[in-house]
Amino acid sequence: MNHPQIAAFPRLAKENQAPTRSLQGQNTLISRTMHDIHYDSLHDEILVNSPLTQAILVFDGGANGEEAPKRVIQGSKTQILGVGAMDKVSFDPSTGDIYLATARHNIVVFPYGSNGDVAPVRTLGGPDTLIRFIDQTVGSGNTPPIRVDPINNLLVVPTRPPGQIPGLLIFDKNASGNTKPLRVIRGPKTQIAGGQQMAISPKGYIVGGATGGAIGVWSVFDDGDIPPKWRIPVRQMTQLNVNGIDLNHRDKELMVPTGNGNTVMTFYFPEIF
Amino acid sequence: MQLRSKGRKVILAVMIAAAMGFFSWSLIEPPELSVPQSTGLGYPQLVSVKQLPDFADMCEWPAEDKSSITRLEEARQFELQQASVYAQNGSGTTVDVTRPPVRTLRDTYPIYSSVAVDPNFDEVILQDNNLWATAIFKRTDNTPPNVAFTAPQRLIKGSDTDIQFNNGLYVDPKIGEIYSIESDTGDKIVMFSHDSLGNVAPARHLDTPHRGYGIAVDEERQEMFVTVEYPPQVAVYRKQASGDEKPLRVLMGDNTGLHAIHGIAVDSKNKLLYINNWGNFSNFKVPGTGKFNPPSISVYPIDAKGDTPPIRKIQGVKTQMNWPSAMALNPDTQDLYVANDVGNSILVFKATDQGDVTPTRVIKGAKTALFNPTGVSLDMKNREFWVANLGNSSATAYPLMANGDVTPVRIIRSAPLGYKSTKFGKTEAVAYDTKREEYLVPN
Repeated sequence: MNHPQIAAFPRLAKENQAPTRSLQGQNTLISRTMHDIHYDSLHDEILVNSPLTQAILVFDGGANGEEAPKRVIQGSKTQILGVGAMDKVSFDPSTGDIYLATARHNIVVFPYGSNGDVAPVRTLGGPDTLIRFIDQTVGSGNTPPIRVDPINNLLVVPTRPPGQIPGLLIFDKNASGNTKPLRVIRGPKTQIAGGQQMAISPKGYIVGGATGGAIGVWSVFDDGDIPPKWRIPVRQMTQLNVNGIDLNHRDKELMVPTGNGNTVMTFYFPEIF
Repeated sequence: MQLRSKGRKVILAVMIAAAMGFFSWSLIEPPELSVPQSTGLGYPQLVSVKQLPDFADMCEWPAEDKSSITRLEEARQFELQQASVYAQNGSGTTVDVTRPPVRTLRDTYPIYSSVAVDPNFDEVILQDNNLWATAIFKRTDNTPPNVAFTAPQRLIKGSDTDIQFNNGLYVDPKIGEIYSIESDTGDKIVMFSHDSLGNVAPARHLDTPHRGYGIAVDEERQEMFVTVEYPPQVAVYRKQASGDEKPLRVLMGDNTGLHAIHGIAVDSKNKLLYINNWGNFSNFKVPGTGKFNPPSISVYPIDAKGDTPPIRKIQGVKTQMNWPSAMALNPDTQDLYVANDVGNSILVFKATDQGDVTPTRVIKGAKTALFNPTGVSLDMKNREFWVANLGNSSATAYPLMANGDVTPVRIIRSAPLGYKSTKFGKTEAVAYDTKREEYLVPN
């Protein structure tokens, strides 16, 4: 991408509005391929990945301009590996612990406050976990978004074994090693797409990519071949793809950025809050 | 009589109001609608996304600041008072929610990532990374301050063009053929004949590795050089290569010192190759190898291939480099021009520079109108250089030997004066900052 940045806009911003602040430049250490970003309200911090340098960056919540990150997780002990993509990072909103899917078909977890060359506190992966991401090749193959449900203490992990349709694996958020998932949402009725986006609502709804360029809603308590409870046919309505998702709980809004239109859409979606 | 007079006044008042309304509507007409339709050139626009009134504030919660955890807990308590999910939607069927977006955040103006000047045809070509178009202007165009924007002579735009998140531009100095490289979702160079217009398929294309950025051509050897940001490499093709033709050679490897490479310049006379680096590095096959290095310009023999280290490097705090982007070399003076994105400057080094050197010239300051410059192109015939400003939808021209805080000799704007762009470029994620009530949008 030509110009990486993290730009901030007021919630009610519409078109042609300049950002109120923007992180950019050498000192920020950011780079292209930031396909996931989080605001940690507990600690007032911004969490983002740095794929080209196998690093995780943590900024002050109000960071602006060429401000450097507060913490950088990077080094040989981290086990962070990206083959063409290390494009997403996630966290537990109730603790700030950082969760990262790697190219080794596993998830590494760093405790809140980790900095420098630190080893993960636990790793979730192995054949019993059923975790399988798209095999990555040079320059392609993004890792999926993973999300923690802090109310039900669950971890939701998209999976897509070769030749199979994608599904969602539900684990205890503290699961480690070769642990079986608590539940698996998978099957033709689920309409789950191998998308790049997911969020968990306060009611335990999984909001994620559905087939046909739509957003689908499932529950963290679903198990098996369960259809989505709701669907927003985004592409059908707007001709734009769904590339990311985040929620504004207070205003019951769903934000959907789309790369192919350089656009962020906001939907009012009270049903899931 | 009085009634008739009053009736006339009412009718007159309605007519005046209608006329004023129409006039006011004309005044607030989006600037793109004032492009002369006869040109058939198109105008700044994206796609049709219906914008509805923002009604979300109708259900505002109390304004006090709360952490998302507090809110989650509140929501949980609220949930306990409600019927279960399945009771609400217990049919087992899917309900389609077709409410359109309540708000859409986007930029309806071009975001220019690259520029190429064609003195032969007296044209300036700008690459629009936002609306996916290549715009061709007259070289002598100069947007007056009171005019919203200048319409291009030609616009290459539409699904058949295969233009997406294109960055680097090159224009053939003899026939005006336009080369444009895609950086993410297209992974190819598209070539258009000089007079291409509208939604036309490229005359030919060349598949390139993922994350391509810049193009340079050695006209003497008829070779085309392509920079690939990551995994970093310089792929060298025949200039006329097309389809899935393989490169003649590739410069790539840990010893090359290539680290998130961007701009490129070729010195055909002295047989040298200049590449700039942002410094982000890792060996993608080995975990934990990531490093942040300072930005640099590395110099190689023009025929370098494989894991060849640079002959020398320009690197250090004195260089002022801050996300160096496109580069251009003056073959007569051996001045190397660097579009210095976040430095809001054009840096000019001597091609023979090495180490931590101060640029011989720095074009920077309020008069320059530079705003996130990412493209630069030299016009040796008219003794000027052009800059693409990603931050304000413009291109600016300066005398070739300009220095300091200089006013551009001409400016082509595609947005109103003073406009500040969103600088969006493939917005694939978003986060909501609950404390500041802001969207955080990465490119």
